[in-house]
Amino acid sequence: MTVRKEWLILLLSVTLGITPSSRRVVSANNDVTLYTAYTKIAVPPGESIDYSVDLINKSEKIQTIDLDVSGIPYKWDHSLKSGGWVINELSVLPGEKKSFTLRVEIPFKVNRGNYNFKIVAADTISLPLTVRVTEKGSYETAFSADQPNMKGNSNSTFNYRAKLNNRTAEKQLYAITAEYPRGWNVSFKVSGKQVTSVELEPNSSKDVYIEIKPPSQVDAGTYEIPVHATSKSTSADIKLEAVISGTFDVDLTTPTGLLSTKITAGDEKVIELLVKNTGTSPLNDVKLTASKPANWNVEFDTTKIDVIQPRERATVMATLKADKKAIPGDYVVGFNAQTPEASSKASFRVSVRTSMLWGWIGVGVIAVALGSVFILFRKYGRR
Amino acid sequence: MKEGYNMVKKKVSEDTTGNQKKVKRPAKEKPKHPFWVIVNKEVSDHVRSWRFIILVALIALTCLGSMYTALNNMGDALKSSKTGELFFFLKLFTVSDNTLPPFFVFISFLGPLLGISLGFDTINSEQNRGTLSRVMAQPIYRDYILNAKFTASMIVISVLFFALGFLVMGLGLIAVGIPPTAEEFLRVIFFIVLSIFYVALWLNLSILFSVRIRQAATSALAGISVWLFFSIFFNMIVDLIAKGLAPSSFAPEYVIVKFQKMILNLMRISPAQLYSEATTTLLMPSVRSTGPLTMEQVAGAIPSPLPLGQSLLVVWPQVTGLIAVTILLFALAYVAFMRKEIRSS
Repeated sequence: MTVRKEWLILLLSVTLGITPSSRRVVSANNDVTLYTAYTKIAVPPGESIDYSVDLINKSEKIQTIDLDVSGIPYKWDHSLKSGGWVINELSVLPGEKKSFTLRVEIPFKVNRGNYNFKIVAADTISLPLTVRVTEKGSYETAFSADQPNMKGNSNSTFNYRAKLNNRTAEKQLYAITAEYPRGWNVSFKVSGKQVTSVELEPNSSKDVYIEIKPPSQVDAGTYEIPVHATSKSTSADIKLEAVISGTFDVDLTTPTGLLSTKITAGDEKVIELLVKNTGTSPLNDVKLTASKPANWNVEFDTTKIDVIQPRERATVMATLKADKKAIPGDYVVGFNAQTPEASSKASFRVSVRTSMLWGWIGVGVIAVALGSVFILFRKYGRR
Repeated sequence: MKEGYNMVKKKVSEDTTGNQKKVKRPAKEKPKHPFWVIVNKEVSDHVRSWRFIILVALIALTCLGSMYTALNNMGDALKSSKTGELFFFLKLFTVSDNTLPPFFVFISFLGPLLGISLGFDTINSEQNRGTLSRVMAQPIYRDYILNAKFTASMIVISVLFFALGFLVMGLGLIAVGIPPTAEEFLRVIFFIVLSIFYVALWLNLSILFSVRIRQAATSALAGISVWLFFSIFFNMIVDLIAKGLAPSSFAPEYVIVKFQKMILNLMRISPAQLYSEATTTLLMPSVRSTGPLTMEQVAGAIPSPLPLGQSLLVVWPQVTGLIAVTILLFALAYVAFMRKEIRSS
């Protein structure tokens, strides 16, 4: 680039016949000096630097000095200013100094490295300056999250903060979208309001809050949710990670949901129970127990279920045996499904009925009595 | 009575011989069976007799009185028990504020008196007036007389009790405004049927006395003394026995339960006890057992009303006992009557 610039100057000199050498006589002496404090500056891409430069006149007469910047990269905008004016030339009184500023705007699209250029006064005096670009710049949109990974259970809401940065030279309207599995809920908020798009001036940024709600029945695991900020010319992505820890929940019920039954005193009744894993993690070692009235008996075909996968269910047959002497009426029998993490109880209302045996014996007694009266009729009736 | 049997005689003779009257009747109508002729006559005799009218008036008044107290106390009774709301209508028969006993207690007290008064002079008064042999002179079987008299009394009692029961239900319906459920209605019907059997028991007892005892007054006294014995003295005797046999208050639970069961079984010799247990269980669905319960049996039980079938099963022994004793007493009266020398001396 520097080569190119010099060629340009050469070309201009040749074609237009402008010879800067006309003032070289004045400036040839060493009475004029350029000074600035910060000669080597490290900046990120997209920054602008204001150099404050002093032109010092050490001679006895007024010096009018031609100023120029040479060797600056082609795409870097720069200007020389003093007293609010853009200048090319500066006059300094004898023994005094005059300040001017050099503003250099470093573009986004720049490679990392040192860039050297110099301020040239009267073609002979030069002030070399170095700008170190600390990182590789880009001419695009930056989208980043400060903490893209979060962990929570299926009931929690994941709140991410992302920063959207427009590093292009134009104003951009970004549409913000996310790809997420079905049942999830993702919303974007900018300054407290829910949005779907964000408008950004060049070289400005906004915080975008991303709220992710997993469905309550989501399996445990790590979910990646890419979020896109897309404008018509550029786009940027971030990948958010939601790590769902499993929940433990168990539900004990019956296939019909009916929690009452009838039983004759002294008899057995088989009750079908369903153990449902309503959580999102597998349940291990589900133990079944029962609380029952005295002298009753409850037996399970399996007292322990080894594992139930999420949303799966296991069927257990419970054999209920009522006390032989149980009085008729309603009793409570409780069934329990327990794991160290969760437990569920199903209370059964058991209506006990007494055996019909004594009823029939009573009927028999009355029948015998009636029969004997009938025999009496036959015997004494004098028919 | 004498005139009555003359009419019977007339009717019977008309039925067998009177061809002229038959012409006037519709062609299909059959002559009444002599058995039902006697039953009809007996029923009309009962209904017109002063002692029956007095007793009915007494029972009706007390029943209305107990219903009045029941209606007055209905509100409190409903507030105090939650299960009672389910069987609101039955409260009409059971609620009382202790100034007047409830309906079913009145029936258990006055029912026997009704039965005795209907039966104490069944046979002996006829015999004493000499009408028995005159009736027997008619071409009817001998046991028709006893059976017809029993049937007539039963009809009178049944009609009376159903009328009383429906009266209470009807007035209760007007006063309370809540119709009974089917189960409540059935419970009341069973209660009425049970009451009829209970009165039939005393009726049969007094018929037995009237067959065995020549004097009507003695027969009535015998019946009333049995009734008094069971309603007053029997409880005292059982109390005496209970005091003598009572285990120490520090005795284990099963000893106390066993003792109480024994006392209860002694009490059950009295038909009044059987009747009151049966009616209480029928009219109060929350009663689950008639005997004492151990803590073990109650553990895990929910206080809830029993279905009608289960209530009946709980009191089935009592019901069976009452019905069986009724039939037994009838059989005894029957045998005694059939073997009796019926010619008036």
